[in-house]
Amino acid sequence: MYRYDQIDKDMLADRSEEFRGQVARRLAGELSEDQFKPLRLRNGLYLQLHAYMLRVAVPYGSLNPDQLRKLAWIGRTYDKGYGHFTTRTNLQFHWIKLADAPDILDALASVDMHAIQTSGNCIRNVTSDPYAGATSEEIDDPRVWAEAIRQWSTVHPEFNWLPRKFKIAVTASAKDRTAAKTHDIGLNLKRARDGVLGFEVMVGGGLGRLPHIAPTIRPFLPATRLFSYLEAILRVYNRHGRRDNIHKARIKILVAALGAEEFARQVEAEWEKVSVSADLPDTELARIRGAFAPKSFETLPAVSEAFEAAKLKTPAFARFARNNLKPHKAPGYAIVEIALKGIGDTPGDCTAEQMEVVADLAERFGQDDIRVTHEQNLVLPHVRLDDAPAVWTALAAAGLATPNMNLVSDIIACPGLDYCALANARSISVAQNIARTFADPERAELVGELKIKISGCINACGHHHVGHIGILGVDKKGEEFYQLTLGGSAAEDAGVGQALGPALPYDRVAEAVDTLVDVYLRERQGAERFLDTVRRTGVAPFKEAVYADVH
Amino acid sequence: MKALTANRLIDGEVVFWRQGQWVDQFAEAELFADDDPAGEGAEGRAKSQPTVVVEPYLIDLTQSEGLWAPVSYRERIRALGPTNLNHGKQAEGGASVEALRNAHGAARSTGRVDLIKRK
Repeated sequence: MYRYDQIDKDMLADRSEEFRGQVARRLAGELSEDQFKPLRLRNGLYLQLHAYMLRVAVPYGSLNPDQLRKLAWIGRTYDKGYGHFTTRTNLQFHWIKLADAPDILDALASVDMHAIQTSGNCIRNVTSDPYAGATSEEIDDPRVWAEAIRQWSTVHPEFNWLPRKFKIAVTASAKDRTAAKTHDIGLNLKRARDGVLGFEVMVGGGLGRLPHIAPTIRPFLPATRLFSYLEAILRVYNRHGRRDNIHKARIKILVAALGAEEFARQVEAEWEKVSVSADLPDTELARIRGAFAPKSFETLPAVSEAFEAAKLKTPAFARFARNNLKPHKAPGYAIVEIALKGIGDTPGDCTAEQMEVVADLAERFGQDDIRVTHEQNLVLPHVRLDDAPAVWTALAAAGLATPNMNLVSDIIACPGLDYCALANARSISVAQNIARTFADPERAELVGELKIKISGCINACGHHHVGHIGILGVDKKGEEFYQLTLGGSAAEDAGVGQALGPALPYDRVAEAVDTLVDVYLRERQGAERFLDTVRRTGVAPFKEAVYADVH
Repeated sequence: MKALTANRLIDGEVVFWRQGQWVDQFAEAELFADDDPAGEGAEGRAKSQPTVVVEPYLIDLTQSEGLWAPVSYRERIRALGPTNLNHGKQAEGGASVEALRNAHGAARSTGRVDLIKRK
C-alpha cells in the first residue's frame, strides 16, 4: 500500500492546524455560519439531522489494519461506537461534535488519513476495484493509477472549484466492480494488441436527478498520456460547465448537451494545447507502482484439504464459501467478502469491535490488506484457503459472516431520513424490512444475484437508478412513499432502470419486492439472473403483479 | 401550536427553545399558539445567537396521545433520533417519547419549507 511521504504528512498537519483555528474562530463568533460552512465542508464535516457528520476518505477503498483500528478508536471515542461505510468507499461518522473535529483530524493524520475533498466541488475520492492485486482478471493494478490520480487531484489549484463535484473510477477487469459508467470519468484499463497499456475513457456518467450512463469518448488512450488527457477533460468542463444552475452543473449535462462526439472533439482540441509535461514522469509512476508491488504468495496446491473438509463438515461454512469467497489469482488463495449486511442490520454500518476483528484478521491471515467496496462491504483480498475456516469462525463470532454477497439482502442503502439533512424518506429501515423478508438463506440463494439499491432522495447516494431493483424515497405531503425501478445495473452492463408504476407507501415496499421476486422465479428461463429476465420481458409482468390489488 | 428548534453549534445536538434557553428534549420545549407573535419573536432572538445555535426555525405541532408532537416525520426523527438504532434522544424513553413515536405524519413543517426556500 502507498505510504505518505514527509510532504504528505506535513500537509495534513498544516491542514489540521488550519481547521483547528477555523473552528475556534467560528465558536468565538469571528466567522459566521455562512463563512464557516464551506470551510468545514472542505474538511468533510457536514451538519446533519442529529449531529455533525465527518466523511473520512478511504482512497480507492484501501485500508491497512492500523488505519481500520484508528477508525474504530475514533468511533468509540468520538462517535457512538461505530462508523458507516458509504457507496463512495468512504467512512462516515454520524455523531460528531464540532469541538472534537480538529482532534479527530489529528488522529486520522496519524495514520495517513484525512477528510479533504470528501465534499465540495472538487475531485473526490477515486473509486477502484476492491479485488485489485488479487484477481486474475485484471490487465494492470488499477490502484497504481488511482493513487497517481489521488496525488494529482489533491488540492489541485485549477480543479478545486469546479462547477460541481467530480468523481473518477479506475477499473482494470472486464467485470466492473467500480460502477465506472456512473462516474464523471470512468477509466477502464486495456492492453492493445501490441501490448501497450491504455485506457478506455468514458465521460459524463452520473446518477442524481438526471441519470446518465457515461459514453466512451476515447476507446484507447495510451496510459502514459493519462494526466494531460484528464487535464483537457477538466478544462473543457471547467470552461463550459453550467455554474448558473446547480441541477445542470455536472459534466454529464455538458456531455449530453454537446453530444459525446462534439465533447470528445473539444477535449482532443484542448489536449493538443496541453504539454506532455502534464503527464506523469515514468520515474514517478515507477515509484508509485513500487508501493503496489505484487504480494509474495506461497506456492500452494489449488485445492486445500482443510478447506474442503471444513465445507463438508459445516454446511454454514460451505454456504459462506459459495457466496462470499471469490477466485484469487494465486493457487490456494481466495478473496473473502465480508458482508456489512447482516439480516436486520444497517447496510454499511460497522461497529468499532467489528472493525478491530477485521483488522486483526487482515494482520493474521490477510497480508495487512483490507478493501471497502462501493456496495458497502469489506474485502480481505488475500486469504489462504487453508485459513478460510478460521477467518469464517472469527467473522461469524463478530456477526460479520452473513453469506449473502450479491444476493437479495446484500442491499445498498444511503443513510436516508434517519440521518441525512437532504433526505425525504428513510432508506435503512426499508432495506431492513426487505432483508428480513428474505432472511431464509436457501431462498436467497435460489433467487440468485439480485442487486437492490435504495436512496432516500433524488440525489441518489444509494444508486437506485442502477439497481436491478431500484427504490427511491419521495415525500408525498409529508408521508414516505417509494418509487420502484427495474432493470438498472451499475456493472459492465450498465443501464438506468425503468419505472415500475406509482409510488408505494412505506409498509408496502418489502411486500412488493417479494412479489417482484415471485414473478422473476415464474418467468426466468435457464440461468437467467433477475436482471436478465427483466430485460427480456420488460416491466409489464412485474407491474401487473405488484399493482394487481391496488385500486 | 408551534415550537422553535435548531442544532447547537458546538456539537450539532438538536435543541428546542424554552423561555430564552435551549433544552435537549422536545417534551420540555416551549409551545406557541399559531397566532401568538411570541413564536416569531423567539425565532428572531434565536437568530441573534449565532455562536449558540445554527439555523433556528419554527415547526408545526399536532396532538398525539394527548401530547404535542411535530407534524412532520422529519421533525419527529430529529426529536427522537434515528429509527434504525435506539441511541438518539429516544433512548431516555417515557410517555413523551412514545407519543412522538406514535404520532402520524402530515405536511412538512412550515419552518423547514421556509429554510428550503431561503437556500
